[in-house]
Amino acid sequence: MSEGSRHSWWDRVERFGRAAETWLIVALLGGLIVFASAQIVLRNLFSIGLTWGDGLTRLTVLWLALLGALAASREGRHVTMGAVTRWLPLRWQTGVRVAADLFAAVVSGAFAWYSLQFVQDSREFGDVLLNDVPAWRLQAIMPIVFALMAVQFLAHALRRALRRELGIEAS
Amino acid sequence: MGGLTALLLIALTLLGAPLFTVIGAGAMLGFHREGVDLSVVAIEFFGLSETPVLVAIPLFTFAGFLLSAGQAPRRLVQLSQALLGWFPGGLAVVSLVMCALFTAFTGASGVTIIALGALLVPALSQAGYDERFNLGLITSSGSLGLLFAPSLPLILYGVVAEAPIDDLFVAGVLPGVLLIVVLSAYCYWRNRRVQYMKTKLPPGATWAAIREARWDLPLPIVVLGGIYSGYFAVSEAAAVTALYVTIVELVILRDVSWREVPRLMRESMVLVGAILVILGVSLASTNYMIDTGVPQRLFEAVRAYVEGPTTFLLVLLIFLLILGAILDIFSATVLIVPLILPVAGQYGIDPIHLGIVFLAAMELGYLTPPVGLNLFIASHRFDKDITEIYWATQPFLLASLLAVLVIAFWPGLSLMLLR
Repeated sequence: MSEGSRHSWWDRVERFGRAAETWLIVALLGGLIVFASAQIVLRNLFSIGLTWGDGLTRLTVLWLALLGALAASREGRHVTMGAVTRWLPLRWQTGVRVAADLFAAVVSGAFAWYSLQFVQDSREFGDVLLNDVPAWRLQAIMPIVFALMAVQFLAHALRRALRRELGIEAS
Repeated sequence: MGGLTALLLIALTLLGAPLFTVIGAGAMLGFHREGVDLSVVAIEFFGLSETPVLVAIPLFTFAGFLLSAGQAPRRLVQLSQALLGWFPGGLAVVSLVMCALFTAFTGASGVTIIALGALLVPALSQAGYDERFNLGLITSSGSLGLLFAPSLPLILYGVVAEAPIDDLFVAGVLPGVLLIVVLSAYCYWRNRRVQYMKTKLPPGATWAAIREARWDLPLPIVVLGGIYSGYFAVSEAAAVTALYVTIVELVILRDVSWREVPRLMRESMVLVGAILVILGVSLASTNYMIDTGVPQRLFEAVRAYVEGPTTFLLVLLIFLLILGAILDIFSATVLIVPLILPVAGQYGIDPIHLGIVFLAAMELGYLTPPVGLNLFIASHRFDKDITEIYWATQPFLLASLLAVLVIAFWPGLSLMLLR
């Protein structure tokens, strides 16, 4: 496989991932705005309270947070305190960043693994949320997103290392 | 946690590893050492979905992004120029108030400097204020509204400290006003000899500006009125704000096109995700620290050196100013508040008062060299050297420091409206 085709293959995956994230965010956030507002109207005008309503909005926030965090990983926009690295000699910077990304990948991977255990336990115990929905289905997003975040950090590390190999230093 | 591990984690933080991974790794290593099954970190993280008030965060953040993307900042500036531009020092004071309001609604992510700065700086220099003053004013106003509802840092403090958010909103009012008054006094004094350009507005301009802003004006009234009167819960106010802003910006005024919505939603959720993922992992790390009695040990260590609440507050302020200069407000809140809260409690400091002091001090941190966030944003936005921004903000920093000292040592200012 040539260098070019390998890149376009990965680029396609990246584009798909980015679009999927964005549209999930649009659906969930749009839904949250509408549903949370509708709840207020129902409660105040018709005195109707949905027993699962608040649970659903809270879970939506968790999903939005995870998708946002995934998007932040893709774009390298997590909160860091790495301002110091700017003063490092240029030839060290790539190495340092690759190390930081690899560390982030390992931790995200570990988080994915232990989230998976959490979801499995929840499935075994038959936990339910929102009245009668099996909890594990609502929790399954955690291991998935953390695993994808690990992939993103790994991809960042590889890209930086490759660019260095090709003689393009990080600016 | 072993000293070596801690050092390694600090090194990784400084080398640019995302903060949430460092906190998460710390929590996992700690629990592992205690022999606790590590799925506990996932259970704690899932706790994000069990905190009702967090619903407010994505809603307010998106509303803020949408507001800044449209023409609302321009309409606000126009209106206040028309109403108060003629008053000596008026435009400077108006800028302070507007930035404070805007920050309260958009969170403290530097949006204020970017969205309002570009409009206010030219307006101010047109009115006869000098450039350095304008830069300092806008840079320091960028975090001024933190103490007013519905600012995200206030909400986040309430979540982390398990303090009632409504009380925090009320407690922030007078200290927030004090900060604005002190800064306004400085603006007035500094410009006492400036010859103001008498901006001659055509007759009817004031009315036109009001008419143009007629859809923006109800927002603070409905939201703040709703929250402060207790009619809305915070998350309800957030839903109403998001829906209202969406309808006004996209349907009524069409300031923002529907095609931009996916990008704006994504951008705002990147911010929300980056904050909440830190909160999620720190739920785990906090639990670990409390299990192993870290706050108690911290208190004993502090007690050996610090006697009485006054000294404690002074030491705390110095610590927070340094902290605010190196760490953003959200990370600092989730990391540090669980530690200082019990210690401050032992010194008899009210958790609500502590919250106001904490946020006021962190607000100054945005302006503290070398790494205050506002300094960087302003330097970037106005294309000025960072040292120039440092010097321009110094007087504002000193004035705010004065106000923060009053806020810290006069608990009544924060608490009197609650009684």
